[in-house]
Amino acid sequence: MSEEKVISVDQTTLQMLDKAKNEGLETAWDRKVAQKAACGFGSAGVCCRNCTMGPCRVSPVPGKGAERGICGATADVIVARNFARMVAGGAAAHADHGRSIVLELLHASPNGAIQVKDEKKLKKVAARFGIETEGRDVYDVAHELAQAGLRDFGRQEGHIVLPPTVPAKRKEIWEKLDIVPRGFDREVVAIMHSTHIGCMADAEAILKMGLRCGLADGWLGSYMATEFSDIMFGTPHSRPTEASLGVLEHNQVNIVLHGHEPVLSEMIVAAAEMPEMIELAKSQGADGINLCGMCCTANEATMRHGVKLAGNFMQQELAVITGAVDALVVDVQCIFPALAKLSESYHTKFITTSPKARITGATHMEMDEAAPLKTGIAVVKEAIMNFKNRDKSKVMIPEAKTKAEVGYSTEEILNKLDGVVNSHIGPMQSTKPLADVIVAGVIRGAAGVVGCNNPKTVHDEGHLEVIKGLIKNDIIVVTTGCAAQAAAKAGLLTKEAKELAGPGLKKVCELVDIPPVLHMGSCVDISRILELVGMTANQLGVDISDLPVVGIAPEYMSEKAISIGNYVVASGIDTWLGVVPPVTGGPEVVDILTNRIEEWVGAKFFVETDPHKTVEQIVNRVNEKRKKLGI
Amino acid sequence: MNLFQTVFTGSKQALAAAEGLVAKAVEEKGRDCKVAFPDTAYSLPVIYAATGKKITTVAELEGALDIVRSLIVEEEMLDKLLNSGLATAVAAEIVEAAKYVLSDAPYAAPCAGFVSDPIIRSLGVPLVTGDIPGVAVVLGECPDAESAAKVIKDYQSKGLLTFLVGKVIDQAIEANVKMGLELRVIPLGYDVTSVIHVVTVAIRAALIFGGVKPGNLAEVLQYCSDRVPAFVNAFGPLSELVVSAGAGAIALGFPVVTDQTVTEVPTLLLTQKDYDKVVKTSLEARKIKIKITEIPIPVAFAAAFEGERIRKND
Repeated sequence: MSEEKVISVDQTTLQMLDKAKNEGLETAWDRKVAQKAACGFGSAGVCCRNCTMGPCRVSPVPGKGAERGICGATADVIVARNFARMVAGGAAAHADHGRSIVLELLHASPNGAIQVKDEKKLKKVAARFGIETEGRDVYDVAHELAQAGLRDFGRQEGHIVLPPTVPAKRKEIWEKLDIVPRGFDREVVAIMHSTHIGCMADAEAILKMGLRCGLADGWLGSYMATEFSDIMFGTPHSRPTEASLGVLEHNQVNIVLHGHEPVLSEMIVAAAEMPEMIELAKSQGADGINLCGMCCTANEATMRHGVKLAGNFMQQELAVITGAVDALVVDVQCIFPALAKLSESYHTKFITTSPKARITGATHMEMDEAAPLKTGIAVVKEAIMNFKNRDKSKVMIPEAKTKAEVGYSTEEILNKLDGVVNSHIGPMQSTKPLADVIVAGVIRGAAGVVGCNNPKTVHDEGHLEVIKGLIKNDIIVVTTGCAAQAAAKAGLLTKEAKELAGPGLKKVCELVDIPPVLHMGSCVDISRILELVGMTANQLGVDISDLPVVGIAPEYMSEKAISIGNYVVASGIDTWLGVVPPVTGGPEVVDILTNRIEEWVGAKFFVETDPHKTVEQIVNRVNEKRKKLGI
Repeated sequence: MNLFQTVFTGSKQALAAAEGLVAKAVEEKGRDCKVAFPDTAYSLPVIYAATGKKITTVAELEGALDIVRSLIVEEEMLDKLLNSGLATAVAAEIVEAAKYVLSDAPYAAPCAGFVSDPIIRSLGVPLVTGDIPGVAVVLGECPDAESAAKVIKDYQSKGLLTFLVGKVIDQAIEANVKMGLELRVIPLGYDVTSVIHVVTVAIRAALIFGGVKPGNLAEVLQYCSDRVPAFVNAFGPLSELVVSAGAGAIALGFPVVTDQTVTEVPTLLLTQKDYDKVVKTSLEARKIKIKITEIPIPVAFAAAFEGERIRKND
């Protein structure tokens, strides 16, 4: 770890890294250094391993060195294929997440661990799938809805059921480009097929497949994951919580939930609230059970239960290094395999629960799908019984924690907006107030700041600088994923943060009684952003690409982020990437993604590693869109 | 044109109008000529509240044009928009002051023009006690006298103080709305700029009752927003000038309800095309709640009719 380079803007992160260093422990930042300079071919996307004639690597500089792989694939073809496979990887992750949730709804029962909590939302979603709800048993409707949802994952003919929030003009654009998704799994398979050796060798066509697969993610996989999670676990409403590694407690059983699928966190929240569990914790000498979250499971649990946010992606190892985590419970996605070895240095139980993500060295307690609460109870017990093994001499919990307000689902945003609607004018439960302030120019636009952490950037700096820059320019920010946690830790998810906003946004925050940065949930909950933007476009009778709306992933790292970027752009929203994707070796691919794609879908990618320049570009672009729309 | 550009355009028109009238005053009366509104200790109240300076001569009035210019910054951010609205208010006050320079009696019945300090002091108590639950500023022109009268009489019956600006004055007269200070319906003038005479009522309330120091503009605006329950009804086609004056009202915390299709801003700038709902919409927008004890009698009953004189012919 080099001394001079700033690693993070988060003080608790720096404190824990010092502790790690003193104890001779390795973190992702050390492994990043150990990797030395990354391979230029891979970084530019011009390395192909899709068959055993290779690996091939072609020159990222046109006209120089090897221009074609053994099969004859050009740099652009290799780059486009690699990029498409990233989309497929990301979409597949969200697909499987969505599928689990739909299957849970299929197994929901009135007396089971999983029930229908939000009947109103069930009816709304069922209606959009054309399912009769009138006078029917709630669980019959739920099961029929689950079946309908599952059909869209494996659909072989026709197209998926698009939500009504897709504006008509947008749908036409997709139809014309032939990128309306068919079945979700089919789109992933199609990419894996076409990127096989000797198949698709046209950058433009491959990238279009990526857009179609991305759309299946955003408007189907993630969309359903969110809707169905709300149906079973409740639609989020605004509530307070706290964030930062300082939320760990000295004399409580600290359970850190990490991963993605809400069923794990829901079951553990339910188990940890049981009086007998609390009694058990007390019998072990603890004051109680302290649930905290990391990454998107944290977001799911905090949106619905106010579970505290311990930290984001790059902090997962640091939680263990506090020495105060009795159990680190994970399911799927974005879990460092390094946690298995790291937790050996402490008493921390590292527990995996999903058959989809086994990690060597972890304690595996597989989630029993037929009786998920049982697993939840077993995991909580395991954590409680581990409390006594905590070595207090090795514990160091940072003092810092920050208040945050979370729970801004689309429904909650509409409820808040109702507060500024004149009851003699109406309408209620609409995005009209939001559309009005955007049209009037009181707020200039809206931005979704999403995505991961990446050791290539200063931890959290990109998120925070972009968010602060945007709100200062009267652009309201909605946030999800690890970006949301960065904002929470920095105090941006509070009503007081309106003081950092420009005059217009500040006024809106006061009138609507909201923070300037709204936490909308986990990464699959980006579908909430699509829903909100789609509703606003429909409200104004325009297409999404007409709106002064942008997406930004300042510190993204995962393939999921690439898939998200693809569906956001395909939905007509300009998207800024704060980390350069591995496409620079393909001039045509770069031209398509950052230029020509705009002719297709009315939006494009911007790659900018400087957060301040990003803000400047966004403000300019937002003003351009406003001008075009005449507002 | 977007809302910001409309407001900026209106403010620049107001500035041009003020420049024209001040030039006329300079030419006709000279720079040393006295400038004052009748019966006030607050000179030109808007300018006094904003800068803490009293304008006494035409030369100083000419200098005050710089205040207007400094408030017009054509950048599309809310604070600039509100300042531009205030620029229109200052320009309107300059125009109105120039009228009083150019003529000894610029206003004649039924129009009241400038509202004197004693009247404001007399309104102070009922405003504080809530006896006057709100101040309605009705300006422009309704589609017909009947709808104008309906709105005005409704405010009157609820005890609100209503100021009229523009053609709506004639419509009120046509529909036999009884007017006068005692009846709480006060026609100000036919020009848009005469709306400033109600703005100065709010501003002097901040100086007189709020004890706000002149020159502390932010506090004046806060007082008006918190304590003066005023709002604006703008009827008929809206010129850029009227819209920019509306931005001034919003800067004072007064919502604007119009019958025109405009770029709405929730709680601040609202379209209500149904005249039967204008009053309810406006009261809700300004959060005015009226304690009503309805007595089933065949004539309107309200404090606003207390000073009514029954003439022989009635």
